[in-house]
Amino acid sequence: MNSINDRSRYIGEFVPAADDDMLICRCEEITKGEIRKAVHDGMFTLTEIRRYLRTGMGLCQGQTCAKLVKGIVARELGVSPAELEPVTSRAPMRPTEMKVLGKEVKEEE
Amino acid sequence: METRIEEHPILGKQETGRLVTFYHDGKALQGYEGEPIAAALKAAGVMVHRYTKKEHKPRGIFCAIGRCTDCVMIVDGKPNVRTCVTPLKEGMKVQTQYGVSAEPEK
Amino acid sequence: MKRYDLIIVGAGPSGLSAGIEAAKKGLKVVVFDENAKPGGQLFKQIHKFFGSKEHKAKIRGFRIGEELLQEANDAGVEVVLNATVTGMYQDKEIIVRISDEMHHYKGDAIIIATGASENMVTFPGWTLPGVIGAGAAQTMMNLHGVKPGNKILMLGSGNVGLVVSFQLMQCGCDVVALVDAAPKVGGYGVHAAKVARTGVPFYLSHTIVKAEGEDHVTGVTIAEVDEKFQFIPGTEKHFDVDTICLAVGLSPMSQLLKMAGCVMEDNPKKGGQVPICDEYGETSIPGVFVAGDVSGIEEASSAMIEGRIAGVAAAKYLGYMDETELKGKVTELEHALESLRQGMFAPKNRGKAIEETEEGIAISKNLLKHGFVADDEIERFPGVTHKAGIHPVMECTQNIPCNPCQDACPKHCIKIGEKITSLPAVDESVDCIGCGMCVASCSGQAIFLVDETYEEGYATVTLPYEFLPLPEKGEKGTALDRSGKEVCEAEIVDIKTSKAFDKTNLLTMKVPADMVMKARFYKRA
Repeated sequence: MNSINDRSRYIGEFVPAADDDMLICRCEEITKGEIRKAVHDGMFTLTEIRRYLRTGMGLCQGQTCAKLVKGIVARELGVSPAELEPVTSRAPMRPTEMKVLGKEVKEEE
Repeated sequence: METRIEEHPILGKQETGRLVTFYHDGKALQGYEGEPIAAALKAAGVMVHRYTKKEHKPRGIFCAIGRCTDCVMIVDGKPNVRTCVTPLKEGMKVQTQYGVSAEPEK
Repeated sequence: MKRYDLIIVGAGPSGLSAGIEAAKKGLKVVVFDENAKPGGQLFKQIHKFFGSKEHKAKIRGFRIGEELLQEANDAGVEVVLNATVTGMYQDKEIIVRISDEMHHYKGDAIIIATGASENMVTFPGWTLPGVIGAGAAQTMMNLHGVKPGNKILMLGSGNVGLVVSFQLMQCGCDVVALVDAAPKVGGYGVHAAKVARTGVPFYLSHTIVKAEGEDHVTGVTIAEVDEKFQFIPGTEKHFDVDTICLAVGLSPMSQLLKMAGCVMEDNPKKGGQVPICDEYGETSIPGVFVAGDVSGIEEASSAMIEGRIAGVAAAKYLGYMDETELKGKVTELEHALESLRQGMFAPKNRGKAIEETEEGIAISKNLLKHGFVADDEIERFPGVTHKAGIHPVMECTQNIPCNPCQDACPKHCIKIGEKITSLPAVDESVDCIGCGMCVASCSGQAIFLVDETYEEGYATVTLPYEFLPLPEKGEKGTALDRSGKEVCEAEIVDIKTSKAFDKTNLLTMKVPADMVMKARFYKRA
């Protein structure tokens, strides 16, 4: 891993900004300010942010906000967005009801 | 103002399904069978599909291809139905979604 | 678990092309697509494509889609629709949601052709109904026959923003402004020019301050930004609109590949997270291939070629062809792909400031800043010449991979040459017969026929026209210049429509002789 995961790195204090109330994750209704604060709370990776705030955990599974969140976190950490590891990809890639997920079909060879 | 494109300079006259009646929050509207519910609503001038759970803010069509899930509504009693990719059927009951419920929160 | 030789995820241009090539070699192929109809985004593309004959240039996107579907059918490719691949695991196993059940499939090879998703930008009010993606606008108007709005502001001057703006006008919407935070138009100059001359103002170095409205969009405020993209106070402009359309780029939809464990990279030139792959599209997992936008954002023409390459490579991987046959097939395809990746807009030139054309001619600054070539810039391009009688004026001023005009002229008076990105030039020794084939063949709608000596004091300009209703012969209206400004009265003296023109009508308008190099669009009274 790289320096992003170095938790002893000082990234400065959280400084409130005028656009902190801008909605970023449309599904879970998480604002830019909440994401920025989370970084200062010690959430340095996108996976941590996701678990901490639920960004990208709503119905659309981050289709819309993933890139936006990445940009905000990178800026707060002072790194390029390309350096941040994207969140884990896992099934189901699209909203799927539990009753459907549980209904597996055994196909003939 | 007319929102249906009657004749298009490149695509010509639009092929449509059968004109059917469906219900939006109890009000009878008409749309073409098989077109996405969202297209029928848009043609009827309906912009708001739902109000969000936390902030109670209005949402409507955003991506129109089933990715963003902003256009979800309650369809025949089932919440979170992506109206932009769900075909319209005769007699469908489409309701504005508040959070995940059909009732506005008090 | 059902097994296939080859599983393809995504029935868009690249997925179908891959399926065709593999099925032709005898592989048992299945293509899964989450949509109700195949073709991906091709059926929303109603403009004529660029490129050369081998890339199906000057054919409209949806027609290419129809041809591709037919070819896939003929080749015996099985396409399963409403089938969402929700996961991809080790050993090339996938799970697919089909209606309300989950199915497991295993492929001996897999091609991921899932395409891209739209990027978004935030501003106060961006969640209001009426703020939509450009793709949503295309879907609503070109697939479902419903206007996305009436008064629309477009954010984004890349090809998507430009093409969709034009399409919005074609279906009867009013585009009030085209806005981009960048200081220069991002897409093809010819796409910008055809939007600008209808009167749409371009606001470069501007972006959205806020969307206004309670329950839906009723207006928008934009403002100028400085080099650091900060708003400059006092530059705000307000527009009454009901729709704001966002066309700010695409990102590869590569999550399935990451999930399967392919080695990924974040490559800004390719639009984001992409798998690392070789020239055949094979990822770090042997037998897992990629094609199309998921491996790097380009356009449909290159996606189709990448698909074919991945298709034959998969056939080779499974032993359905040998190395020699693979090399033979791929060489030709790669040549076609390489020719599309030339010119100013080539992926390798992304982010570079290009000052002059390959011919050494200074690029029109006005085109980049305002969307149209200025009167004092146009004469320096080789397609712009003067002579007595009717002749073509080709306002093609950037090196883009496109050459149908060269083949369109039955008298061979248009020359591009071997390099398809070269600017078209006129062979003045050959007489133009005024047939208009070049006008209709130009995907950029950048060719006009002018007759500077039509009659005493008057000239004619023949222009491509793809709007309804068509003007009538003899009717009088207003001529607009390249910027969309009204410049003089114009009388329609001829209207040509022909099957060969493929819905591009040719309007001939009579204008005062001194307006012949200015008048470029016709506005009905």
